[in-house]
Amino acid sequence: MRLQNKVSIVTGGASGMGAAESALFASEGSNVVVADMKIEDGMEVVDEIKSTGGNAIFMELDVTDEERWEVVVADVLKQFGTIDILVNNAGISGSYQPDIMSLEAYDRLMNVNSRGVFLGMRSVLPTMCESGSGSIVNISSISGIVGQSYVHMGYNASKGAVRIMTKSAAVQYAEKGIRVNSVHPGIMPPMVSSVGTADPETRKIMLEDVPMNRVGLVGEVANAVLFLASDEASYITGAELPVDGGLTAR
Amino acid sequence: MSSNGIGRLTGKVAVVTGAGSRGEIIGNGQATALLFAREGCKVLLVDSEEENLSRTFRKISDQGGEASFYVGDVSNELDCQKMVELAVNTYGHLNILHNNVGVGGSGTVVEVEAKQWDHVMDVNVKSMMLTSKYAIPEIASSGGGTVINISSISAIRPRGLTPYTVSKGAVIALTKAMAVDHAADKVRVNCILPGPIFSSMTSVNMTEEVRELRRISSPMGIEGSPMDIANAALYLASDESRWVTGISLIVDGGVSLMSPQR
Repeated sequence: MRLQNKVSIVTGGASGMGAAESALFASEGSNVVVADMKIEDGMEVVDEIKSTGGNAIFMELDVTDEERWEVVVADVLKQFGTIDILVNNAGISGSYQPDIMSLEAYDRLMNVNSRGVFLGMRSVLPTMCESGSGSIVNISSISGIVGQSYVHMGYNASKGAVRIMTKSAAVQYAEKGIRVNSVHPGIMPPMVSSVGTADPETRKIMLEDVPMNRVGLVGEVANAVLFLASDEASYITGAELPVDGGLTAR
Repeated sequence: MSSNGIGRLTGKVAVVTGAGSRGEIIGNGQATALLFAREGCKVLLVDSEEENLSRTFRKISDQGGEASFYVGDVSNELDCQKMVELAVNTYGHLNILHNNVGVGGSGTVVEVEAKQWDHVMDVNVKSMMLTSKYAIPEIASSGGGTVINISSISAIRPRGLTPYTVSKGAVIALTKAMAVDHAADKVRVNCILPGPIFSSMTSVNMTEEVRELRRISSPMGIEGSPMDIANAALYLASDESRWVTGISLIVDGGVSLMSPQR
């Protein structure tokens, strides 16, 4: 078991990549806190994990809500006594239509995707500092590395912020024994919040950029997150790990 | 660090170059070969020194792993061809090529002799082209697999080791080019950029003072171990990373994140 007895919080754990990360972490022995706004979906993920013998609980969390973060961290500490791993996975899609220059979209993308990650780190760092260890994995995107024609530039900005915030946190908390790394998924199946990028014609064009010529699977991203979260990556901090079928190599 | 293998590479065959170690201090290639074998992989160990190779071979045999070895020079084309043939003839197929061989190279362009420059490029870059040239068709016809190239953070943070820096930069470019070229053949190609690792190669003539300097140069305040490189290689070699290609994975305790002390 690669995460035996570790306590992990996965934000956005109720669906997609977050659900896959939660299930994989639980199967590797971790106690998993599935944190999400979607209560029913989150409970389902927890039930599924429990039915296969894993340990998980659900906690309602809007990652932009500072007070909720405090409640979640306090609750997790009360139940498990520690927080070893935080996966800042929650995020919203950048396929904003019809107005690609919408200011409202920019603010919302930055609020959820970037500020949400900052709040998550800020919320767990004190307890990780106290225990002298911890691993944080932030889900950025290839959109934090390269520009794209089909997403709102606020999405690129928000994911670029996650990428560099990760490096900052890595430098600032390394001496406390805390590692912080980012994972950069490439073209994935459409998200719940995808609009324009869910269009089959657009997706065909998007896939032309991928040397491996296919979309990624949520389990493939989860594998990368597991590696960075685990002690196997004990000398890796501030690193960015693309899981993109070669898109950013091109 | 995984203590016991759980079969993450079961059924796979790997060639690991530079798999020997000069003494009792473990090397990056050796650690990788040991971990691959522990995870159920059959490993052909390659090195230019038989004595160094036999240390790794014994360790794998002692832990009950499956390995064989080939003494050869990976900057020699014929040796690369033979090495790949031996792996395929011995184990029936090939899935993983781990290009770990490398030499140091210090000095500026003004100081370096052209002959020394060529030697560093031959051993660090041309070797990876040659091993891959023969391994990739075999990996492709085995249903796909991976190539892992060892670069260095010297590629992105130069400091007076110009031939080495340039060769390791070339490894990153080679990795990306090969990843794009062979994605359709189901061959994934990635590289690892190790930071200050205390290994069989770097420990030679290293004073305790220098070792301490290397430790405190990272924000984590610790040196790396060859096992850290082996764990990264295991992730990239296994099917867990099956949608990962063309990446440069930095394993350096955060050294390359900070601006240097000047």
